[in-house]
Order: sequence, then C-alpha cells, then structure tokens
Amino acid sequence: MEGTNQAIQTMVATLRQLTQGFGLSLAIFGLTLLFSIPLGLLICKGRMSKITVVSLLCRLYISVLRGTPLMLQLLLVYFGPYYVFRVSLGNDYRFIATIIAFSLNYAAYFAEIFRGGIQSMSKGQYEAATVLGFSKAQTYFKIILPQVIKRVLPSVSNEIITLVKDTSLAQVLSVAEMFTRASAAASKQVSVMPFIVAGLFYYLMNLLIEFILNRVEKSMSYYS
Amino acid sequence: MSDVNNDIVLEIKDIHKSFDKLEVLQGIDITVERGEVVAVIGPSGGGKSTLLRCATTLEKVDSGKIVIGGDVLCDDVDGHSVYCDKKLEREIRSKFGLVFQNFNLFPHFSVRRNITEALIHVHKKSKEEADAICDGLLKKMDLEAKADEYPCNLSGGQQQRVSIARALATNPEIIFFDEPTSALDPELTKGVLTVIKELAQEKMTMVIVTHEMSFARDVADRIVFMDGGVIVEEGPAYELVTNPKQERTKAFLAGY
Repeated sequence: MEGTNQAIQTMVATLRQLTQGFGLSLAIFGLTLLFSIPLGLLICKGRMSKITVVSLLCRLYISVLRGTPLMLQLLLVYFGPYYVFRVSLGNDYRFIATIIAFSLNYAAYFAEIFRGGIQSMSKGQYEAATVLGFSKAQTYFKIILPQVIKRVLPSVSNEIITLVKDTSLAQVLSVAEMFTRASAAASKQVSVMPFIVAGLFYYLMNLLIEFILNRVEKSMSYYS
Repeated sequence: MSDVNNDIVLEIKDIHKSFDKLEVLQGIDITVERGEVVAVIGPSGGGKSTLLRCATTLEKVDSGKIVIGGDVLCDDVDGHSVYCDKKLEREIRSKFGLVFQNFNLFPHFSVRRNITEALIHVHKKSKEEADAICDGLLKKMDLEAKADEYPCNLSGGQQQRVSIARALATNPEIIFFDEPTSALDPELTKGVLTVIKELAQEKMTMVIVTHEMSFARDVADRIVFMDGGVIVEEGPAYELVTNPKQERTKAFLAGY
C-alpha cells in the first residue's frame, strides 16, 4: 500500500514537472516557427536574387546551417559571445540562444522548401498577372503566394513535426524544457518512466499538429 | 468607314529582338486599325510568338517602336529601343488583352474571381460593377452556370473561353491571341473559334497567332505570314491563302 502510494506520488510529481517543461518546449516550438518562417522566406528571396553576391551568401548560409548539427549550432550561439567577445549574457540568454539557433537553423530548411515551391510555379502565372496589370506585390501576394503555400504545405508539415521533437535538443543548453526535466527525473528515479511519459507528450503534440495540418491541407484541396 | 473607325490601335515599326546570338525578329512592321482582325501565321520558330510577347510587354525589343492605343510603349533612339516609364507601361497594359495558348487561368480563383480580380484591384471597379461585367461576359461565352466553378473542373475549351472573358473584362482596345486553340482537341477548338468569330463580327480589334488556316482565312481581314524572323508576305486573308505570291508562303500553305 505504502509502495503504491509512493509510486503514484512520484508519477504525479513527474507529470507536473514534465507539464511545466512542456510549456517551455511549446515556447521554443512556437517562437521558432514565428521567426524561422519569415526569415526563411527572406533567405529564399535572397537565394533567388539576381545579385550574385546576395545569392551566393544565401547559398552559403543554407549550406552551412543544413550541413552542421543543430546541437553544435546551439552551443555556438550560446557560448560564442563569451568566447569571442568575452561578454556574459546572463542566465536568460540560454533560452534566447535556443530560439536564435533554432530559428537560424530552421530558416535554412524553410528557405529551400519555399524556393522549391516558388520555382515550381509556371511562368504563365506571372505573365497572366502582369498583362492584367497587377503590380509586383499584388502578383506575389494574390497569385503566387497562395499557390506556393498549397504546394509547400506537405514539406512544411514535415519540418513542423520534426521541430516538435528537435526542441529536446535544448537540453544541451540546460534549458528546462520537457526533455531536460525528463532526463533529470529519470536519473533521480532511476527509472525509464519519465522518458516514456515525455515520449507520449511529444507524440500527442504531433498527433494534434498532424490533425490540424490535415485540416489545412483539405481546406486548400478545392483546386488542383 | 468613318475616320474614327480607321484610327490605328497598334503600330509596330521595325522591331528587332535577339535571344543571345539568335535574332528572332529581324525588323517587323505591322499596323492594325480599329476593328481589324489580323492573323499571324507561319512555321514554328518563325518569330510569331515572340512578336506577340513583345507587343504585350512580356519581352522587351532591342530596337524599333511600338505604339498601342496611341501610347508609345517604346521608341527607337539611335538604334536602341527606349521604353516608357513603369506608370505608362501599366496604363498601356490596360489597353490590351492577351489570351494564352495554355490559358494561364489562376487555379486558386473561381471563374468569377479570375474575371473580376483585375477589375476590382487594378481598375478600381466596385464589386457590383465587376460582377455585372463578369455576368455579361460569361453569358456571352455560354458559361453562365460556371461562375463559381474552379478552372480545374472545366474542360480546356471552357477554360480558354474563361480566359477570353478575362481578357475582355477590362474593355481593351485590342486583344492578342497566342495560338488560342493549340492546346485543345478539335471538338473543343470549335467552341473557342466560334467565340472569336463572334468578337470579329462585333468589330473587336484582334491579332491572332494561329495554325488554323481555314479559320484565319474566314475570320481575319488580313493575314501576315512570318518565317525566319521576317514578314514574308501579307495581304487580304482570302487572297493570301488562296493565291499566295511568295514561294515560301506557297510551300507553307501546301502543308495544310
């Protein structure tokens, strides 16, 4: 009886800890999307720029950010300012560094996805819009972008789902997100249970995301 | 005909256009009067489409002059074309319509929105005005029931008629057709040609690049035969088709 009680208490404590951590995981997830998608669009634009220097710089950016581990990028963004400039940015910087590194990294992937979508648009769509007198901005926002969004949605969904799981990498900066807490709880309890609960959290989160993205995809299926 | 009917809608003077080293247009002159229907025929690669693309601002000419509806799109200065400013260029774009070979409808817009979007957002018409114009055109195109459909649910012929309606919506002074039936099977071609024929009867000014020889003969006032980047021969439609003077024209027409 005593043992069961204790087990339940441990379980409740674990759940509470993980739930608290989950809030932070959600914050990393949400803020990364918020920053990386516009940044990705910008880099995509730069990558397709006719100005060679801009285009090359964006290619280099994409190549490096995609070609090195996100974990390494997290460490560099966090420790970089200290080792390079000898400045200490305080404890809050852990979280900020996490958001910066995630956003920079995901922007590189989004940029390439957007580029694929934009380049898959036929020249005729631009030409029809031009001849009808639409301005460049109107053409982009009314004609091109809505179609590109539909085309890139499956790939973007992939990235979004990966991002949910990648938030666990923030552990490397000791950000108290869910995975960090799960690890701590697991070693304290000498049990694998916290990991399983964490896994369940990630999975349920992604299940929800999948559901939402499917709905969005369906809402755009009125044309092909 | 009165003088008003005789004014010039399109004037193209000695235009040249090269892609890399290939000179696709080697000095083309065409004048189209109001109410006139001009068919441009000739073998593939002869420069027909490039001519149309230059006249519709989709390509820039290297030298020569283009005047549309009285506005100078570009003028020749010392052997090089100088284009008008962007503002005038946009104004000129509202003076002509272009119908593409593969329609280029906006797939994410309904038929109605394909037709009204430019009216509302470029020509600043109210939604009601735009809808009224759209309804009238769809009736004319025999597509009244399709206003709320999306292009993917229409046949090729219907899509092309929508794109003609879209080009007509802004009440242009001239409409260019770039092989409007080349992407359609013969059955669907008929409907599109009928629509163009009706426009010709209404004295719509049109320039039509086409491979439909009998259509060109029956509908156009004048035919221009292009090959190798030059106009080889031009003349009244019926005469050019039935009694061509140049050897190259004869050889080309013999293939039909």
